[in-house]
Amino acid sequence: MFEHLINPDSIAVIGASSNPKKIGYVVVENLKKNGYAGRVYPVNPKGGEILGYPVFRSIDEVPENVDLSVITLPAGLTVEIFESVARKSRFIIPIAGGFGETGARGREMERKIREIAKKYGARIIGPNTAGIYVPSTGVNTALVVPERSRFPGEGDIAFITQSGALGLLTMDSVSLYDVGFSAFINLGNRVDVNENELLKFFGEDDKSKVIIMYIESFYNGREFMRIAREVSRKKPIVVLKAGRTKRGGRAASLHTGALGGSDAVADGAFKQCGVIRAYDEVELVDYARALAYGKPIKGERIAVVTSAGGVGVVTTDYIESEIHGIGMKMAELSEETKRRIKEEVVPFASVENPVDMTAQASDEDYDGVIAALNDDPNVDAILVYALFQTPLISEKLVDIITRWHREGDKPIVVGTIGSDFAMEMMKRFERNRVPVYPSIERSVKAIKVLHERAKILDYLEGVK
Amino acid sequence: MNEYEAKKMLASYGIKVPKGELVKNIEDIASIKLKYPLVAKVSSDKILHKTDVGGVILGINNREELGAAVKNLLEKFDEPVLVEEMLEGGIEVIIGVTKDPTFGHAIMFGLGGIFTEVFRDVTFRVLPINRMDAQWMLGEIKGRKLLEGYRGMKVDREALIDLLLRVSKFVEENPKIEGMDLNPVLLMEKGYAVLDAKIIMER
Repeated sequence: MFEHLINPDSIAVIGASSNPKKIGYVVVENLKKNGYAGRVYPVNPKGGEILGYPVFRSIDEVPENVDLSVITLPAGLTVEIFESVARKSRFIIPIAGGFGETGARGREMERKIREIAKKYGARIIGPNTAGIYVPSTGVNTALVVPERSRFPGEGDIAFITQSGALGLLTMDSVSLYDVGFSAFINLGNRVDVNENELLKFFGEDDKSKVIIMYIESFYNGREFMRIAREVSRKKPIVVLKAGRTKRGGRAASLHTGALGGSDAVADGAFKQCGVIRAYDEVELVDYARALAYGKPIKGERIAVVTSAGGVGVVTTDYIESEIHGIGMKMAELSEETKRRIKEEVVPFASVENPVDMTAQASDEDYDGVIAALNDDPNVDAILVYALFQTPLISEKLVDIITRWHREGDKPIVVGTIGSDFAMEMMKRFERNRVPVYPSIERSVKAIKVLHERAKILDYLEGVK
Repeated sequence: MNEYEAKKMLASYGIKVPKGELVKNIEDIASIKLKYPLVAKVSSDKILHKTDVGGVILGINNREELGAAVKNLLEKFDEPVLVEEMLEGGIEVIIGVTKDPTFGHAIMFGLGGIFTEVFRDVTFRVLPINRMDAQWMLGEIKGRKLLEGYRGMKVDREALIDLLLRVSKFVEENPKIEGMDLNPVLLMEKGYAVLDAKIIMER
């Protein structure tokens, strides 16, 4: 069903406007600019033409039933015309705020539109929503100043969010290194379509390799767990859960009641349904990329490759420490690995883990060291730092690491530190679907998440 | 529900509690057949935190002390007194149940005393749980080393896992439970005993 939402054949824009400062203009403009290939029907009683599309005086005049209607009118008007829209639409996105979030009157308006939609079998996303953004089909109902923000391209991440603004800001920030999305849906006030239905849909959507969610309150926690447990067998789910409710009432007089803010319970619930938890918007997308591109890390022994000694030392601390770290282990390299590295690859390097190849390292040296680590039974995953600041390292290193990522046995995470050039290389890794991070901490946390994923798969296998 | 009733209910699910008897008037103690040392506790559904109000007397070593303790509690509270065999040694843990507004019944596990109260070193799962959940819970708390045999102090992990699973079943079959504290649960080298139990039912 939701395929008609993310890939609609036709879209009506109710309240379309020829004034570039109005929402009703921006939505039409976005559809045109993003190359939306379906049929667009701007609706405005004034008629005329907007950006080359003829304007219909009312939705009744639109010559077909549409897959999606975007209502760009204020809340009051939205309610007034809602029935005429619901009659002809499969999905409706009322953008306006001023509904339930403002109080009793708003909630009454929400009840009205919910009932009307139900009567005609239409589904509502929102209201009070940024709507949806689907890079592959060019559908975009989000309102941001185009000169000051970017929309990401196509990718593997499906994004369901209760906050439109946080969602758009997150996508804007990761556009910097070309992270792509399969779809973005803002639930808004969630009078109808909820996260559980969408989770199920994206669970079956081949384009979405990972599902990320920003949730303040679950529509139905038990239902979420049931669906998430099924979906996470197939693909990872990362949730940024915010908002801690306080527990009141008589039960709070018990220890358990007092300690069990819904956050602590949510934490347990996530573990039971295979959900990985993120604590901010950076972790949310970082983890999603690790999980979408990387392989689960089954063991705890990590090999680290670097050309900068200090990076290796700090990474070791981060890997092994419980506090400011992930509490995993540095791999004890096998004698054969050490011999290969010392005799065949980099005689000048430290052959302990972290393998520090020093500033003399070349692209080929990296290739040889990764080859040795890939064969080492004592190594469960490899963290490679691709540091482009030394003379013998070139852009080719991206291809070498990408090849090992694709063809090697061991899960690989890449760290790269630096400014413009490093960022360019990061984009290349990203395009190649290699999990890459611009700092030590973020690289190490990606390792942790891939290990967590392996444990989740074990758990889900065990509770089948 | 008072402690005596709570423990009777738990025991019917195979959950281990200390041997005890309910005393309603001082004459009842003549027939008590428990092994000293004993503990006497006021057993009332109105008094949730017995220690705070002086409702618990520990280390009762003979009939004379028992008479004094029971008399004291009966006069002070005008409520029945639960007399139990006193168990010592081992590690104290807490197991609880709460009803979460989003996820429903959830079980909590943590180490007793300051670990729970000061460090909030506890972990939750939504009920019902399976064996793997219970195992993970034991491994998740920061004080997990205490459960792995710390300084020669061994504890019965299997018994603890069994207890968690029994609590899960207990709540599954009694959905009107709103909250529950088994605190402390004394975890010994072999087995465990629920030393105190508070259960709140939905009204």
